[in-house]
Amino acid sequence: MKSKSRTLKLLVFLVLILLSFAYLLPIYVMGTTSVKSIDEITTGNYLIPTGNPQFGNYREVLFGSSRFRSNMVPRLLNSTIISFSSTILSVFIGGLGGYYLSRTRSTFAKVLFVLVGIALYLPYQAVIIPLVILMAKTRLALTYWGMILSYLILNIPLASVLMGTFFLSVPRELEEAAEVDGASKVQRFFMVVSPISLPAYASVAIIIFTQVWNEFFLALTLSSPKTQTVQVVMAEAKGTTIVVYNLQMAAALITVAVPLAFFLILGRYFIRGILAGALKG
Amino acid sequence: MAAALHNHRTWQNLVDNLVFLVPLLFFVILLYATLAWTFYVSFTDWKTVTANYQFTGVKWYQFLVAQPRFWVDVQNNLKWLILGVGPTVVVAILLAYLLELSPFPAVESYIRTLILYPVAMSFIVTGTIWSWMYEPQRGVFKTLLQAVGIKSQLSFTTDPDLATYWLILIFVWQYLGFAVIILQSSFRTTELQEMVEAATVDGASKLRILVSVIVPNIRSGILVLVSLLLISTLKVFDIVYIVTFGGPGIQTDVLALNMWITFFQQHLVSAGAGLGIIIFAMAFIIVVPYTIYALRKWFE
Repeated sequence: MKSKSRTLKLLVFLVLILLSFAYLLPIYVMGTTSVKSIDEITTGNYLIPTGNPQFGNYREVLFGSSRFRSNMVPRLLNSTIISFSSTILSVFIGGLGGYYLSRTRSTFAKVLFVLVGIALYLPYQAVIIPLVILMAKTRLALTYWGMILSYLILNIPLASVLMGTFFLSVPRELEEAAEVDGASKVQRFFMVVSPISLPAYASVAIIIFTQVWNEFFLALTLSSPKTQTVQVVMAEAKGTTIVVYNLQMAAALITVAVPLAFFLILGRYFIRGILAGALKG
Repeated sequence: MAAALHNHRTWQNLVDNLVFLVPLLFFVILLYATLAWTFYVSFTDWKTVTANYQFTGVKWYQFLVAQPRFWVDVQNNLKWLILGVGPTVVVAILLAYLLELSPFPAVESYIRTLILYPVAMSFIVTGTIWSWMYEPQRGVFKTLLQAVGIKSQLSFTTDPDLATYWLILIFVWQYLGFAVIILQSSFRTTELQEMVEAATVDGASKLRILVSVIVPNIRSGILVLVSLLLISTLKVFDIVYIVTFGGPGIQTDVLALNMWITFFQQHLVSAGAGLGIIIFAMAFIIVVPYTIYALRKWFE
């Protein structure tokens, strides 16, 4: 579909500038503000970078100070534990479930698929109250397991459909060959299908990890002081009456660093995961 | 011998189902059980911290719809649904088409990465940054406008009439790259490429090709994209919570935020459950066509 017309080139150029501006400005502002002193913010121009970067802002955010009481290090640890555990378990169980959905043609499988499909993008508001009650009753509320279990309930349907989308494109001949050799379904899944689907597992893991790391509603409602995640601390920092913009921006950069690093390093898998979500595995 | 083999088969089948089906089924049942539980709570009289499962029928639904706040929320949610989805899809179609036409591959991959990175960011982070851009006295946009000599009266998210629209703009910014990626993959089918080439040979203009050839042929891609965006806008909570918390007054309040405040701050648990069910019902209407489409595609 390539074109060589001059107006088109001009249009591409204009769009390039416009989008660069719209998408780099927020990052630029976040970066420069995060290393400014509060004096510089209140008196200076927001857009001009500082000549005297205060990297101490990051120390304050990470380890806490009188201006930023909720130090980020333990929260980063919480988010890491919760996101990694939820991701690994979701992807494992989703892989099994996805394989079932992609290889079974029964009416029961169709019904299950519809139930899973409706659950895919379930608004968390519809299940939060029972989750709070359950976590309180089972005393899981104060542990990581309370949040991990909740994220599993909400993410396993998505992981199953995403994994299943990838499994649908795995050639059946491979499995048939293994079947002739006497391999059971379980053996075929673990010895044949899963090993060649490792890129698919990576894609789905990145999608689920990002989703859990960035999740706010459930984290806000369910997390206790001991399991508080980075998103909740961010919201708290913004909600305080003394607005320390520089520390907020430093906290924002730290919060976004992990998923953004995944995106920049493993962008290809990220995009494949998004496309699988749009049923184009 | 045959019976033994048959037994072996049944046994094998059982093991297979146990391994592949049971874990997923367990979590799906748990999910629907919590949903049913919410549904039940919405018909009880639970209005304090302590549980009260006394059945009261639709009392709390009546309570909800009698509040003006509920209707402010509905209006705002509709604004989100229409303006969060429509412009995103239209701009994404134009942009995806432009990227397909662009003779510079480097520019194409740069723009794709550039507009896609917000997908990795949380609404909480995006909202924090944009609050800083929108700051009404000396924020980034105000500073920029002043730099080019424009004295504007814009007060962004503190303007009671326009605040919701400024919030929606954040969403459009965040989801544009996501939309472009999905549409680009719809463009890249061999059939469509051939049709476009045929139309080009026939002398159709670029715009004509987009409207009469491309858009009708990527309907399913658009359907999926619209469903995903509708669901995301319906669920919107984080952006509103972090940027305005429903303010000024309740001007930017949405159902999801109302639900959280009702349940978590006011402990009107049954009313909160009712709001949860209302949000689910709306999501259900959006998700059904998507699920039917997915079902057909999956089991074809």
